[in-house]
Amino acid sequence: MLEGLLLLGQGIAHFLTWGALFNLAWASLLGIVIGALPGLTATMGVALLVTLTYKMPPDQAILCLMALYVGAIYGGSRSAILLAIPGTPASAATALDGFPLARAGKAGLAMGIATTSSALGTLVGIFFLALIAPWLAEFALRFGSYEFFWLALFGVLISGRLTAIDNPLKGYIAGILGLLAAMIGMEGLHAYQRFTFGIGALGGGVDLIPAMVGAFGFAEILSVMKQRFTAEMATSDDRVLPRLADITRYWRTTIRSGVLGTIAGIIPGVGEDIGAWASYAAARRKSKEADRFGKGSIEGLVAAETGNSAVIPGAMIPTLTLALPGSAAAAVLIAAMFIHGIRPGPLLMTENPQFLYQIVGILFLTTIAITIYGLSLTKLLVRVLLVPREKLMPVVYVLCVVGSFAITQRMFDVYVMVAFGLIGFVLREMRYPMAPLVLGIVLGELLDVNLRRGLLLSDGDVTPFFTRPISAVLVTVIAVTILMSMPMVSRRVTQIFKRLDPQGRTG
Amino acid sequence: MDDPRVQRRMNRADLVTGCVLAGLGLAIVYVSWTMPRLEVRGIHPATVPGLVPGLLGLILAFCGAALAIKAFREGRGEGGWVDFFSLLRSAEMGRLAVVGGLALVYALLLVGLLPFWLATALFVFVFIVVFETWLSPSPKPLPRSLLWAGVQAVLVGIVVTLVFQNGFLVRLP
Repeated sequence: MLEGLLLLGQGIAHFLTWGALFNLAWASLLGIVIGALPGLTATMGVALLVTLTYKMPPDQAILCLMALYVGAIYGGSRSAILLAIPGTPASAATALDGFPLARAGKAGLAMGIATTSSALGTLVGIFFLALIAPWLAEFALRFGSYEFFWLALFGVLISGRLTAIDNPLKGYIAGILGLLAAMIGMEGLHAYQRFTFGIGALGGGVDLIPAMVGAFGFAEILSVMKQRFTAEMATSDDRVLPRLADITRYWRTTIRSGVLGTIAGIIPGVGEDIGAWASYAAARRKSKEADRFGKGSIEGLVAAETGNSAVIPGAMIPTLTLALPGSAAAAVLIAAMFIHGIRPGPLLMTENPQFLYQIVGILFLTTIAITIYGLSLTKLLVRVLLVPREKLMPVVYVLCVVGSFAITQRMFDVYVMVAFGLIGFVLREMRYPMAPLVLGIVLGELLDVNLRRGLLLSDGDVTPFFTRPISAVLVTVIAVTILMSMPMVSRRVTQIFKRLDPQGRTG
Repeated sequence: MDDPRVQRRMNRADLVTGCVLAGLGLAIVYVSWTMPRLEVRGIHPATVPGLVPGLLGLILAFCGAALAIKAFREGRGEGGWVDFFSLLRSAEMGRLAVVGGLALVYALLLVGLLPFWLATALFVFVFIVVFETWLSPSPKPLPRSLLWAGVQAVLVGIVVTLVFQNGFLVRLP
């Protein structure tokens, strides 16, 4: 315990240099701006920034990326409150109560509460990150090929199930497409080149960064420019700094939302938007003023903003200890860590124990930064929202092109970006979630190599995949997930539960 | 999603994609089946390179078929295809075609053909002017749009080129 606190102190102190604080300041501000601008998401921002920071020392590069990530998830609340358009999908639940508050002349209050709630949400998440991650990393040392195979499969499946917009089948399909994309190129066991069709550049496989820049950048540009309307902005001239009583009144909601957000973060590929919606729904169920939700409830705003911010530290738990991305942006972070020679996974705590606490330190310092920005820079951020998309989007696209090109300096990556942008756009229009696709690309090799290595170890026998204790648990969870997503089965199960509980409390 | 017209369109789109995905899945199964098994190298038969892609292709084919069947059952009835194709003639589709076209011409053609700063400036200029005047719900006066778009385009082209070439030492195409 004492050792942990010491490492934590070192993690924070590591970044208390002028250079690091400067990086923190610009990256978190840039994050807030990116988050606030509709059409620019946290994932896209992080993916583009990877291309700009790859020459930096590893700790500073990760600092910039994390600060941008936290800032962007927070920044989305600005446009959600003032324009009723969530700046990133994470703020969709924020708009429900934030915009009515703004229309009632309380935009300042809403922005202030959103700021403090985001900060508190991140703090709750940080607490669990520092608590759970070291323990999980130690536990994960017991995982072998069999367990990692199931873990990869579970990650893609659960992400497909929980991020699916209306049909779980589409979530699964997105995940499988991602896994298949990861099959392209040289495989890890016998160095055979699969699905390259004689194209030399495909031998190295599909790089995650250009694919992400396409699926989250180019695709987003297409959907933003497609729409014809322009939004109207609510005015804000009331006090932004919230009173202490406004913050402490909903302490129960804050803690509950923080915990729910952290859990959403831990579940692979389930990101900030789900964290926000889950805490919002839970808060409404428990609230004494549930009828105010959606009409300008401060409690609803607290729940949504605490929930989405707590996801970020939560997502870092599986990201750092299992190399299983907890959210779409965390998938980019994994790619960035590999570029900088940091290998996330169970061995991280053995090889590089201070790194986890540096992440905690970064999150903590960024929380302070966004609180300061959020409560002081209101006017500037309002001006940012006035930038017309006609002028902004071509610049963003130029950055998508240069960014994909910059890392390996070959045009092939630009083609990958364009292809994933077009595919991503079409899939998104047809209501396929993007997170499982990304997760599939990241986890494809893990799944492939560990299945075949497991089979090699067991001489072609599949029983160890089912009989080892941890594997058995994972298989059961996977089976239940798949079965419950079939309408026929879930209806039956609900009926059985209703019969057992005649009051019908299970709904 | 409540609008029955949107629902019908989505059903048709699902029917088409379901069939395409099922076909793609089967094609992947075929390619994986015919992939070399590397017997010469004496590898364990359970570790052939085609194993995992083959299994994934099979699952994809199954999911695609399930999607198509579901869409077919729910989408039977009148006017679905007419609705589906009317999508292609909407104003939004026009805007989309323009954005997509400009983006593709820039990334696939102009970059590499022209010096990078010039290609970028051209793209930014045309993009802004088109969406501020021709495709705007409330068009701006053309001369003003031309002027400011020109200024922004040249600035973006030069700044991006300088930052990447001298700041990040990237040899731009």
